[in-house]
Amino acid sequence: MSRIFGIDLGTTNSLIAAMEDGAPRVIAVGGSNRALLPSVVAIAPDGAITVGERAIEMEPHLTVERDGRVSAVGFASGEYGAVIRSVKRYMGLGGDEIAPEDRARYTFADLSGPVVRFQIGTRVFTPSQISAEILRALKDGAERALRAAGKEEKVERVVITVPAYFNDGQRQATKDAGRLAGLEVVRLVNEPTAASLAYGLNKRAAGNVAVFDFGGGTFDISILSIKEGIFEVLATNGDTHLGGDDIDRVIVDWLLAELPDARKLDRHVWNSARMAAENAKKRLTDVAETPVVVELPGHSIRKHLTRDALDQMAEPFLARTLKRCELAIADAKLTPAGIDAVVLVGGSTRMPLVRRRVAAMFHKEPLCLIDPDQIVALGAAVQASVLMGMQGDMLLLDVVPLSLGIETMGGVMERLIHRNTTIPTSVGEGFTTAVDNQTHVDIHVLQGERELAKDCRSLARFKLGPIQPQPAGVPRIEVTFLIDANGILNVNARDERTGREHSVDVKPSYGLTDDEIERMLEEAIDLGEQDLEERLLISYRNDAEQILGALRKQLGEFGALVDGSERARMDEVVERLEAARTGTDRELIAKLVEELNEVTTPFAKRIMDAAIKLALEKKSVEELS
Amino acid sequence: MIECPSCGRRQEPLLTCADCGSPLAAPLGCFAALGLPRKLAIDLGALERRYHELSRKIHPDRFASSAAPVRDASLRATATLTRSYRTLRDPVARGLYWLELNGEKLAENNKRVPPDLAELVFEVQEQLAEMHDAPADSDAARELAAQVVARRGQLQTAMDANVAELERNFVKCDQRPDEKMLTLQLKPILSSIAYLRTLIRDVDRAVENSKAA
Ligand SMILES: Nc1ncnc2c1ncn2[C@@H]1O[C@H](COP(=O)(O)OP(=O)(O)OP(=O)(O)O)[C@@H](O)[C@H]1O
Ligand SMILES: [Mg+2]
Repeated sequence: MSRIFGIDLGTTNSLIAAMEDGAPRVIAVGGSNRALLPSVVAIAPDGAITVGERAIEMEPHLTVERDGRVSAVGFASGEYGAVIRSVKRYMGLGGDEIAPEDRARYTFADLSGPVVRFQIGTRVFTPSQISAEILRALKDGAERALRAAGKEEKVERVVITVPAYFNDGQRQATKDAGRLAGLEVVRLVNEPTAASLAYGLNKRAAGNVAVFDFGGGTFDISILSIKEGIFEVLATNGDTHLGGDDIDRVIVDWLLAELPDARKLDRHVWNSARMAAENAKKRLTDVAETPVVVELPGHSIRKHLTRDALDQMAEPFLARTLKRCELAIADAKLTPAGIDAVVLVGGSTRMPLVRRRVAAMFHKEPLCLIDPDQIVALGAAVQASVLMGMQGDMLLLDVVPLSLGIETMGGVMERLIHRNTTIPTSVGEGFTTAVDNQTHVDIHVLQGERELAKDCRSLARFKLGPIQPQPAGVPRIEVTFLIDANGILNVNARDERTGREHSVDVKPSYGLTDDEIERMLEEAIDLGEQDLEERLLISYRNDAEQILGALRKQLGEFGALVDGSERARMDEVVERLEAARTGTDRELIAKLVEELNEVTTPFAKRIMDAAIKLALEKKSVEELS
Repeated sequence: MIECPSCGRRQEPLLTCADCGSPLAAPLGCFAALGLPRKLAIDLGALERRYHELSRKIHPDRFASSAAPVRDASLRATATLTRSYRTLRDPVARGLYWLELNGEKLAENNKRVPPDLAELVFEVQEQLAEMHDAPADSDAARELAAQVVARRGQLQTAMDANVAELERNFVKCDQRPDEKMLTLQLKPILSSIAYLRTLIRDVDRAVENSKAA
């Protein structure tokens, strides 16, 4: 059976990893050492799809031309195609749950349905379909990287991580994305738990560990007990709409405060400001103050941001994360002193403010032993190898983050499975009829912590029946609610008297039905041939770009090592490749990449020799002195 | 009788197949699931070790590449094991389960105030009512919240005493398993605990709300 890979499908960045010689390693899907794939998807008016760095370039923004003019580039949402980022924030949401500010950012089709749908040209995309494109790019990139390393291997079976606090609908949407990308999702694993596996893999770690995961779009806190290879989650809490994105938005508001509202909402202006804001935020991790500049046509915004001011903007969000920590610690029946280690995960934990406040809350310096960008993907690879039976005694016991129940008389939520219950778990509940000869019983399943059904999230409705006509209260139907190891609900029902299994027709309140997914898959198969061609083309174009970029850099540094006739030959191939790269003949691109490789091989060898000579000279100088 | 989805052997319901060790989707009680004798006094350390050991054998992570019926049996067996462990781990849940096994249960709406705690309970309820009426975010509300938090400590102490009493009775029940009277004596203790637990939860909610406001 094929190897299982681990995928971190992040709000901002996505990665794929696998075990190599007993250690988890990320795979450089973006070529030379680039493992982070930005979770950005561009869909061109003709339906062509681009994912990652190159999609960012297509995002509508403002750019300063050589002559100093500022012009708008990229395509805006709607009839001209669109660039979608942070699609994870929309996973599992219903149309009515879209915030007004999001409506300014993208064009949505019909917002009354149970699934958000992006309108792009004449086509409509659900968040699961967009996420599927990210998954496909990871799959293709990984297969390409493996091939380059001499390994012909397909990515077919995967573990995908999700925020621990994702509800049933959000998990289901993630699984759907995997299916739409043609992957078998062997397991969904919670991100902080995955991180704990990477953290505890070789240490024979023991004790209580808190994982603080503050990423681009989501926040999770999980508290685990690690003992003899068993990683048991005691409690988890979080917020699926709380992350670095929110801090960026506040900085943007400050940056654009003086602009009239209509200008602020302009997608080119807003995106440019967002980029400037995020960059400034990141710089302030290392410096105490920084200029922030947004060039607009006609004038430019020039402001100054200090780390103190940034901290003030970030503080309300940080306060929310700490509140969640308190709740999780209490649910774990621990105190901060009872927690032996705090592990930081996610890009936003690079902020000094976050580190300071986390240290104060837990009375200890948090650990950041593994790259916070990679730890979740590495942990997913560890879980993948557990699932392949290759990690001996190691076992993960995770929990369900939100209580599950049903609506009872008077609109009250009756809890059947409490939050932080270890999964898989099941509970049986008996149902009967309320009036004579009733043939169906309606059941409304809810998820959440509030008392009233209307304040909880509707998960699904289903109808039990047909029931044989009998006096009220006589039929006895036992319904089993089972939450599997992915944290996803399964329901089945049995007639107590006849012992017959009832079919349960579950209608999810949000998300796609099985039929809809089937239909999308069929459409995808129709487009399959073309998609494959297109993906291959893109991958060859990327190769071309890489070799051209590398050559440009080398000629800049070591141009003296090339003589005139050699240079002329190179330039000639470069020119042909540059031209081919914008076309659609992938065979030609592949051939020219090969040719350029040949022409430049002697040059590459000379660079190598020169570097060695330089190193030797340096060494002998050192030895002399 | 139940059939093993892995080797096909028919056998009495167990957590794992007696022949091949594969998980079985058998309907099992809490003690049977963990392979323990029906005894109320339980060493929690040993219980946890047992739970971990069995989880290692039957958890779905161990059967990710198995055939669908085996995967399904593993899922159901693990759900049963987990539920059983959670029930037995908590003395109160264990006591309630014991009543159920003996055909007993607490009254649906447990409204009986534990007699020895009547005064404390009355005071706390009085305070909760006042908190409810006090204007949000006022000094009066904060003052009341502080008082209620102090009382919460007393409620918790009473709760701990009741749990200790419960565990002493567990030992007695185990010593004389045929005495139905002993099981019935668990009822008033469990009923006090259930009452206190609801009240403590109400206090926590009220304090939480006063902060949120
Ligand atoms: N030096 C830094 N200072 C502050 N924030 C940073 C820094 N570096 C990265 N970030 C922020 O981290 C976020 C991305 O983190 P990460 O890649 O962990 O998120 P993600 O895994 O994609 O998201 P999620 O886990 O929420 O789905 C972005 O908001 C980015 O701005
Ligand atoms: Mg992340």
